[in-house]
Amino acid sequence: MKKVWLLLLIATLLLPAGALAQDMPHAGVEIVATYMQSGTYDVGAENIEEAFEDATGIELELVASPWAVLNQNHITDLTTGTGEFDVMSGEFWIASVYDKMLPLDDLVARDSFGGDYIPTIWQPGPSGYFDGKRIGIPYSADAYGIVYRTDIFEEAGVSADWETWDDYFAALDKLAMHLEGTDIAPSVFSWGASEQTPAIFLGMYDGYLVDADGNYALDEESALAALNQMASLLDYNPEGAAGLSIDESNAVFLTGKSATMICWVSFMRASAQNPDASLVVDNWAVAPFPGPGFPFLSAWNLFISEYSENPEAAWEWVKYYINPEQSTQRFVELGVGSPYLSTYEDPELMEAYSHDFPGMVANLSRAQSVPWVFEAFEIFFRNTSELVIGSISVEEALANTLAGWADVTVPPALVQSAAAQGQQQDM
Amino acid sequence: MGEDHVMTWHSRHDLPWLLAFVLPAFVIVVAVQFYPLAYSALLSVQEWSLTESQEPQGFVGLDNFRAELGDSTFQRSVRNSIVITGGAVILEMLLGVCLAYLTMGSSWRMRAVRTLLILPMVIAPVAAGTLWRILLNSRAGLVNHLLSAIGVQGPEWLASSDWALVSVILLDTWQWTPFVLLVAGAAIASIPTDLLEVAAIDGASRWRTFLHVELPLLLPLLLLTLVFRMLESLLSLDSIYSLTFGGPGFSTYTLTFYIYTQGLRNFNFGAAAASSWIFMAFASLSIWLAFRFQRRDW
Amino acid sequence: MSRNKSLSQQILALLRLLILAIACLAVLAPLAYLVINSIKLPREFLTVPPTILPTEVTFQHYEELIDDSKTIRYFRNSLTVALWTTAITILSGTLAAYGLARMRLAARFLALITFLFLFIRFYPRVTTVIPFFLVMRELDLLDTVWAIIIGQLGITIPFVTWLMLVVFQDLPAEIEEAAIVDGASIWQRFWRVVLPIVMPSVSAAAILTAFLSWNEFLIASSVARRKASVLSIAVASFVSDKGIQWGPMAAMSVVMIVPMIIFALFAQKYLIRGITFGAVKG
Repeated sequence: MKKVWLLLLIATLLLPAGALAQDMPHAGVEIVATYMQSGTYDVGAENIEEAFEDATGIELELVASPWAVLNQNHITDLTTGTGEFDVMSGEFWIASVYDKMLPLDDLVARDSFGGDYIPTIWQPGPSGYFDGKRIGIPYSADAYGIVYRTDIFEEAGVSADWETWDDYFAALDKLAMHLEGTDIAPSVFSWGASEQTPAIFLGMYDGYLVDADGNYALDEESALAALNQMASLLDYNPEGAAGLSIDESNAVFLTGKSATMICWVSFMRASAQNPDASLVVDNWAVAPFPGPGFPFLSAWNLFISEYSENPEAAWEWVKYYINPEQSTQRFVELGVGSPYLSTYEDPELMEAYSHDFPGMVANLSRAQSVPWVFEAFEIFFRNTSELVIGSISVEEALANTLAGWADVTVPPALVQSAAAQGQQQDM
Repeated sequence: MGEDHVMTWHSRHDLPWLLAFVLPAFVIVVAVQFYPLAYSALLSVQEWSLTESQEPQGFVGLDNFRAELGDSTFQRSVRNSIVITGGAVILEMLLGVCLAYLTMGSSWRMRAVRTLLILPMVIAPVAAGTLWRILLNSRAGLVNHLLSAIGVQGPEWLASSDWALVSVILLDTWQWTPFVLLVAGAAIASIPTDLLEVAAIDGASRWRTFLHVELPLLLPLLLLTLVFRMLESLLSLDSIYSLTFGGPGFSTYTLTFYIYTQGLRNFNFGAAAASSWIFMAFASLSIWLAFRFQRRDW
Repeated sequence: MSRNKSLSQQILALLRLLILAIACLAVLAPLAYLVINSIKLPREFLTVPPTILPTEVTFQHYEELIDDSKTIRYFRNSLTVALWTTAITILSGTLAAYGLARMRLAARFLALITFLFLFIRFYPRVTTVIPFFLVMRELDLLDTVWAIIIGQLGITIPFVTWLMLVVFQDLPAEIEEAAIVDGASIWQRFWRVVLPIVMPSVSAAAILTAFLSWNEFLIASSVARRKASVLSIAVASFVSDKGIQWGPMAAMSVVMIVPMIIFALFAQKYLIRGITFGAVKG
């Protein structure tokens, strides 16, 4: 008799477990996902970690590291074939290890993933591609923009409807006249964070980034024009602007000391509307980023490592973390730019962010990511930085950059990215 | 004669023990570090840039070395390293030895002052670099604010080529003078007091006592400190990383920052290994020179 | 004559006080600013002119640190790493230096060994990150504090060995001769005769080792990802592409400094005791 009871007991215990196993095909599996430690993407992941574990039975471990350490860890892990990380966060700068990432086309097609994205973000470039196959799923989107002081613009009778940089400069001239005698500068930018200077150049430059043969190159005439224009922008900045970091540049705008600022909007959005941190609450808006170039795009992707032992479980986390609801929530709670259209079409949000969304969407839909590996990026921004502090001339900056690029090979994945975004010289 | 005999007999008798003393340190240092070093030596004569290939692309002889030595950024990094390390180490040695003398004594006041003075060394270099970045900021920095209070217009510390170098020297000196203070202080404390007393009875002035009695005794340790500070300063990365990030432009690119950029940012493993060995050739020269001065019989 | 001398002595004493005061100020002002930053409100960080005295004191940055369970783990790991590294380094480094100094090796051979040690010490770690990672993987030590400790030992042991070698070589041989004649074993000589005399240098070496280990970043960041992460990585992580989180970083830096101050005070006591010992024996 006792035995029967025992058997029954075991059966009842097993029953839910069996049912569970059907709902949770990956129960008990352990996966590791990486994020950059920034208080945004990583916190967004931590916030839903438990819910994910409860829903899937997967044991998720999150690893957040500073930017440089994150990349170093990824590269070390992938080149040594260690396979410690299942899901990795990255962008174009880890293109050199793109061939170690799992192609995701089949999974995307099977689960019909990927609707509702801002179209440009879902394209090769912003989305990681290798050898014609998708390997990355974007989970953030931020484009360079220009924020401006609505109150000052109104007083000065200037409107923020520029299409080209010449229009923007004309507006700055008017602002300079209006602001004469005050300590408010027409414009500010984080010139001291030298890795940001390419954003200005790319906005002003009208030409290719990769030549017909697949090497890093620039159209020299257009590049010289852009560099000259970039250097002249400094005249509209406050005293000592050449040393400003991102924080400091933001502080200039938030303390009301400049009429416009060229910046990553997601880096200032939350503080700008926080009365504790800002003197310009409700007095600013996002303007379109001028052409003929494009607004620099930042779009973090999740990749699945080829060495992952549980790619299906890893994919579960990718789907759980990246979807319109989560992205909208991360935007609201943490200020992370969403790659989904629905975030920007949400009626409630549209009202709350009426000063922000129209400009932001316009910029995002024109934004492009660059096909530069970090070395190419570094050669460029170091030389433009020398230009900004007046150590070298415009011609030297260009000549040094091109000379430095001669030794740098473009990874195939980035040639494709350039071609897909129209950044390659015509054959 | 007899005592000499005793000593020789004993050292032979003690030899197994002495070997056992040396062994743990030797095993830990050589065993664990040997493979990484050999690997990097092998890499230095191979072409391997991660952007081009996942595997080393074959033996290229001394091409990496030739390319590095001819690279203008490499050359500029060497110049910057010499300026920064030279400036910082001279300042540190002078200040450190002076302060070590000024804080001699075992009163609680001097102990407190000594403890206070070595504090900068405790701060993580990354944090120290970032701290000085706010202090030296040309708009909102404390340094220029204080300078303007006494009527001096401060320079653009971090946005000018020359001042950025000065800033890095300043940070190194602030953080590492305590090292010299600590080692020199311990060395001074170890000088037998009777030696000084004899000198004092002989009527030698303080300065002469220092020059003829103390300095010769301190010299080996001071030299060691000098070489250590020199190599440490050449190697330091965290502080440059957080204070200037090598900028503006290439203004504060040091040799170590250059190697870091080549190795862990651009993943040109072959080039990074080659520049590391060039660096070590220079470091070896310094170590050898220090040996020469330290023990004349070597 | 004697009044003159005392006057010049007074001036010298005053000068000494003045120089020390300036030195303390130069050290303290930046540190004080760090502490102030850790209790400032975010909006007061980049004001023009800088906010020296915050209008409102906040402990929010410290509270955030304490609330985060990871802080405790980082702290414990850092402490483990620093303690073991210092203990192993001082023990093996001092012993090795004593052994090398008393072995009566041919000078050239001794120089060669020391040179090898130092070469390993000063080779740029950046280049050996990947092979060291592989070694640790083979030893199955990845993401453990032992990987960090072993990596750091490669830096600290050569340093302490060389430092102590110089110290032992400067020690007059007569000090030990009496003990040898008394028939003391090598251990007894080392512990009872030599060590007390060189104690100031040992404690200085211990302070330096502990500081180095506590702050070391590159080795730790290359072999520790999750379980074994340490405070220096945490401090670096407040510097992100979005700028710097000044408040939390200042708070974390202050938290990092406190244990080392306590340690320095403790080791200073031995530094002093060593001095008095030296006076008696020498």
